[in-house]
Amino acid sequence: MTCKKFEKWILRSLDNRLSQDKQTKLEDHLKSCPDCQERKEEYLTIIGLLKQVKVQETKPYFWERLQVKIKERQSIPFWASAKQWSVRAVPVTLILVLVMTAAIVLFFPTQDAELSQSEALLLRNLNPLEETQLLFNEKLEDQNMILIFSSLEDKDNIRRPLP
Amino acid sequence: MEEHELVKRSQKGDEEAFRQLVEKYKSRVFNMALSITRNPETADDIAQESFIKAYFGLPRFKFKSSFGTWLYRITMNLIKDHLRKKERMPKLSIEEVKEKPFDQEDEVKKREDEKTQEERREFVRRFIRTLPEKHQVILTLRDIHEFSYEEISQVLKISPGTVDSRLHRARRMLHKKIEPYLRRRV
Repeated sequence: MTCKKFEKWILRSLDNRLSQDKQTKLEDHLKSCPDCQERKEEYLTIIGLLKQVKVQETKPYFWERLQVKIKERQSIPFWASAKQWSVRAVPVTLILVLVMTAAIVLFFPTQDAELSQSEALLLRNLNPLEETQLLFNEKLEDQNMILIFSSLEDKDNIRRPLP
Repeated sequence: MEEHELVKRSQKGDEEAFRQLVEKYKSRVFNMALSITRNPETADDIAQESFIKAYFGLPRFKFKSSFGTWLYRITMNLIKDHLRKKERMPKLSIEEVKEKPFDQEDEVKKREDEKTQEERREFVRRFIRTLPEKHQVILTLRDIHEFSYEEISQVLKISPGTVDSRLHRARRMLHKKIEPYLRRRV
């Protein structure tokens, strides 16, 4: 066994936390190892110095001062405690808003845009160009009239250019 | 009146019962804070704050540990908070510790003659302050205030095995720092 291991045992023995068996082995080692013996003495000195604590008295009127402080804390007005909490509430609210926004985006996607007329026709397996093609079967004047009236019906009131 | 009864009464708002608990523990709480902070004003503030926290926390105290252990844990947390705040300030380096008492040979001789037991204790404690926070704390609890391993384990919320290894490491670190001066100068 190394002296490093015995150093651990020395410290444990100073706290009376070494088994009898190990204590005997340690004592045998100490008899034959001046370095460990010296180390033990040094530890005893250090710990001994630390243990000799001069207990200091607390400052006067400890209880009286404490009583005043407790009463002060008890009588903190509501707005003061609310103010204390509001400082913490700001980041919490921000986090909540972010979480809720993320949840809305993830779990409630916006409804699909309304289908255009051509898309609706395609969905019903109809040819969206059929009407347009029919238009070309009309006379040129009639074509113009149809286009004029169809543009008037259009919601956005944008006139289509004449062919 | 037994401590358990005093705590129960304090929980019901009995001021006199709480005063008795304060009287019983104020010295140990104050000295615990003092030995780590080394400042009586700060130690007094920490001791007062510990009892205020205990007073308002009493309704939540469920007797899972003794009142003393619970109170020391509160104190220890306040001490740690204080040390963390203090960390922003320049730390006492090992060089400063060495140089202050032993800057000149004459001064050394003079000081050796004048050295009292208190000075020697102070010398060792000054070296403790150069250790990392957790090692300072464990040395203070065990070697200054003589807390048992079990008490330290409860106060610091660490396993008894960790208490053992951390204490061992802390003592070795302290020894390593003091060793060169120990025999000649302490």
